[in-house]
Amino acid sequence: MQPGKSSVSPSTAVVPFWRNVKIIGVIAQFVFVIALVAGIGILVNNVVTALAKANLPADFSFLGKPAGIPIAERAIPYQVTDTYARALVIGFLNTLKIAVVGVVLATVIGVFMGVMRLSSNWLVRTMASVYVEVLRNIPLAVQIVFWYSAVLLPFPPRISDPIALPGGLIMSNVGLAFPFLYPTYRFGVWVPYLIAAAVLACVAWWWRRRALAKADRVGSVWPFPVVTFLVVAGLGLGLSYLGRSVPSDLTFTFEADRGRGTTAFVVDGKSRPAAFVPVAIEIEKASLTVSSQNLVESRQDVRGSVRFPLMSEREADAFEFTFADAAAAEERGLQLSFDKYPSVATIYVDRNGNGKLDAGEDVDPATNRGYGGVDVVMTVTNFRRTLVSDRDGQVRTPTFKHIDEAAAAVEESAAPRAGTRFSAFGQAATATVSESALTAKTEIQPVGALVLSRAYVPVSNYEGGMRLTVNYLALLLALVVYTSSFIAEIVRGGILAVPKGQREAARAIGLSGVQTFSLIIFPQAMRIVLPPMISQYLNLTKNSSLASLAGYAELFVIASVVSNQTGAAIPIALLLIGAYLAISLAFSVVLNQVNARLALVER
Amino acid sequence: MIPPRPAPVKAHGFRFWLRKNLFNGPFNSALTLVAAVVAAWSLYNLGNFIFVEGSWGQVWRNMRLFGVYRYPVEHLWRPLLALGMMLGLMGVMAGAAGRKSIVAGAFLPIQGFVAVVSAVAVIFWPSVRFLWPAALALGFIGYFVGRRWPRAVKYLSWGWGAWLVVGYLLLSGFTAGGALGRVPVRDWGGFLLTLILFTGIIPSFPIGIALALGRNSKLPAIKYFCIGFIEVVRGAPLIMWLFIASLLLPLILNVDANSLPAIMRAYVAITLFSAAYMAENVRGGLQAVPRGQGEAARALGLSAWQTTLLIVLPQALRAVIPAIVGQAIGLFKDTSLVFIVGLVDFFKVGDIVSVQPEALLVTGGVKLEVFLFIAVIYFFFAYRMSIASRQLEKRLGVGER
Repeated sequence: MQPGKSSVSPSTAVVPFWRNVKIIGVIAQFVFVIALVAGIGILVNNVVTALAKANLPADFSFLGKPAGIPIAERAIPYQVTDTYARALVIGFLNTLKIAVVGVVLATVIGVFMGVMRLSSNWLVRTMASVYVEVLRNIPLAVQIVFWYSAVLLPFPPRISDPIALPGGLIMSNVGLAFPFLYPTYRFGVWVPYLIAAAVLACVAWWWRRRALAKADRVGSVWPFPVVTFLVVAGLGLGLSYLGRSVPSDLTFTFEADRGRGTTAFVVDGKSRPAAFVPVAIEIEKASLTVSSQNLVESRQDVRGSVRFPLMSEREADAFEFTFADAAAAEERGLQLSFDKYPSVATIYVDRNGNGKLDAGEDVDPATNRGYGGVDVVMTVTNFRRTLVSDRDGQVRTPTFKHIDEAAAAVEESAAPRAGTRFSAFGQAATATVSESALTAKTEIQPVGALVLSRAYVPVSNYEGGMRLTVNYLALLLALVVYTSSFIAEIVRGGILAVPKGQREAARAIGLSGVQTFSLIIFPQAMRIVLPPMISQYLNLTKNSSLASLAGYAELFVIASVVSNQTGAAIPIALLLIGAYLAISLAFSVVLNQVNARLALVER
Repeated sequence: MIPPRPAPVKAHGFRFWLRKNLFNGPFNSALTLVAAVVAAWSLYNLGNFIFVEGSWGQVWRNMRLFGVYRYPVEHLWRPLLALGMMLGLMGVMAGAAGRKSIVAGAFLPIQGFVAVVSAVAVIFWPSVRFLWPAALALGFIGYFVGRRWPRAVKYLSWGWGAWLVVGYLLLSGFTAGGALGRVPVRDWGGFLLTLILFTGIIPSFPIGIALALGRNSKLPAIKYFCIGFIEVVRGAPLIMWLFIASLLLPLILNVDANSLPAIMRAYVAITLFSAAYMAENVRGGLQAVPRGQGEAARALGLSAWQTTLLIVLPQALRAVIPAIVGQAIGLFKDTSLVFIVGLVDFFKVGDIVSVQPEALLVTGGVKLEVFLFIAVIYFFFAYRMSIASRQLEKRLGVGER
């Protein structure tokens, strides 16, 4: 072969294989894959041997075993004896619970702050800037701990003295509770109407669209299906309240002196808890003994307070308050001054004799503390309350005593009893009242498809309604505030990115400032804003994994507990990665949909 | 005859400013009043807490815990020397870039912070009385070196690399005996640990760039590996990766759990996590480089490697500097998550300090004080970085349409 022959026609020249880019590429990939497989193989081998050596589970069989993890906050029924799988599902639902609410609130606050940052008002603009800059430059972990242990946990209204706000909202250091609608045993009556409503809404939507297309008109489609749905569903709900009666197998057992009751269906002697049943309870005459406590109100103030369970004046015909040891109280000159009738009172000595509590009169000069440890008896006449049993069919009322026994207890307490302790709500530790004759009139109320369950405080925790724990609130607050500062920046950027001519044109055709913003600027800004906003939503969801700092049991927290208990680190890691990837994927599907829609609108 | 017109409204001065910015119309005036009440209330409560109600003794007494946690007092010169070296390197960068540069704008406030701490140290902390000023001085020496010989910047990436190694050796020591006694890694903590973990962004640079280039590769095996790595890592929260790393790294590497300190595991997790985000940032930059650049380089006869390293990457990286600073802020804040693997960083010291017996004696606890202090320190550094990021954005013309 002559040299240079190949150079005559370079296009047909054969490139030696070691210089052929394609072949090099294939070889490189081959080497890479072999190295990768070998590397992963070695690592997996390491893991397997280590797991075998330490006798740790490497499969998912542990999921079926009983978890034994107490979880206070759950969306579905759960007991400590339930499986690990169920515990993890509850964790996942809790993640969703905080993410969904957090996303909505963060959007509202973020948009508000973003608009405020562009206000023409210097003060408002500056305050919004400070809000954004401060909050997004402090680690979320610090913010969670700050809200949880520095702000909400020491929140002044203790659960023994909660704040009852209008609308049935109750606030205290344990959390927030408010009335909530729950489906009852008659929910099934409503279901066919709901299905019919959904079907008819679809029909209305389709019909309206066709009508518009036929008439070749532009008009809004959405009101039609929405109104249809609301009318039909509302009709069904209304009908579920007609002809209601209490089923004969529904029972309510109530132990008045223990303040506990259960609603249940009794079929063939077997009882099954009946959830969300309203019952009216009436107790003719009963009493309740509470020991006053020296409570730290703030950093300085210490005083002896009596705190009875949260009641309203309307719940009884009469309230009467006496000191359990009337003689001793008289001797010391003790008086009651009500901060909140009929639940909270301060004990004081009326030293200046003007008949009311003045500064310093609530402090005992002998001890320089409040008048703690004094028993006060509340006697109620015709106490009545309508309660809705919870998911497990339970209701609770204050633990009343029969009036005669209270008298007996008073007599007994006149004699000094060593070692007798009183808990916060006066379950007086007297042995004599164990067999109580206290009776109550109870009546199960008929109910429709839904029932409004009000929150109340029977003893030392919330019952009924919807309860949000302080853990949930702290985490929610921190996540919302933190994410809203990022959303505010996105919104500000989006509004600024709308061309100036749009605003000027809108003003030129006579739109007002508000109209210009809501009809012209904001819709266009939304288009720019939505994609980064959705990635902030994903961040919020992922950041909820810091829940352990607020003691909230979300997916990651429960997973790490399960991992510590079972040693199943690898399966748990795989589950976690899978769960988070699923969430990420869901968000990116939404993001792609949004992007596609926006792109369509644009052209 | 044209009727005389009224005199023009004064368009400057304080009253004009007030009218223009606060009281232009009834709605705005009402808004101003409401905002003023809210602002006054917040400022009053904050001021009242800081100056009247707060008891700051607990924070003040535990400054060493906040700073270095359990690092032995007699060895404190070592972290401070490492700090001085870091300030020196930053100083060279700042000095070379000039006094009005953004780098100097970030460096000088940090020096200011160190100067304040130095002043406090000289007065109150005898054990580090001379060490803090020495670190401060190293920073200024670096600054003047940078000003005098701006070309020193060329070798800076080597300097940072060397600093990582020297800093590690300095902090850990070599042997149990000798002048440089061994300080076990588990004793590192406080703000020192926060800074150490923050340096995880340095090794995440090359890894992230490699991942970004791999993601753009035409070779499917490499491409899909990189995509998979980036998306999986970014899909889950850092706290989960820290947890997994702390559990699985010893198993995966088949080493004894005790021989791999928690710091190392956290460092690996943070570096890889940061690398995945870095890769996405760099990829954005690669997309911003016009195609013609690469094609022109190839036409000039540069090899594929040369084209990438000398032509495309420098332009890509320059375009994403603001995004990288943004990521650095995120990482700085995220270092606070290492509590999950039992490390005691600056944030976690707060927990320890607020449950000490002395803290429990204070009515109402000192949590508010402690975490306010921690928040302020984090804020100072993160905010400083975000200002730098914004200046960079402005200067590079990113986001200006």
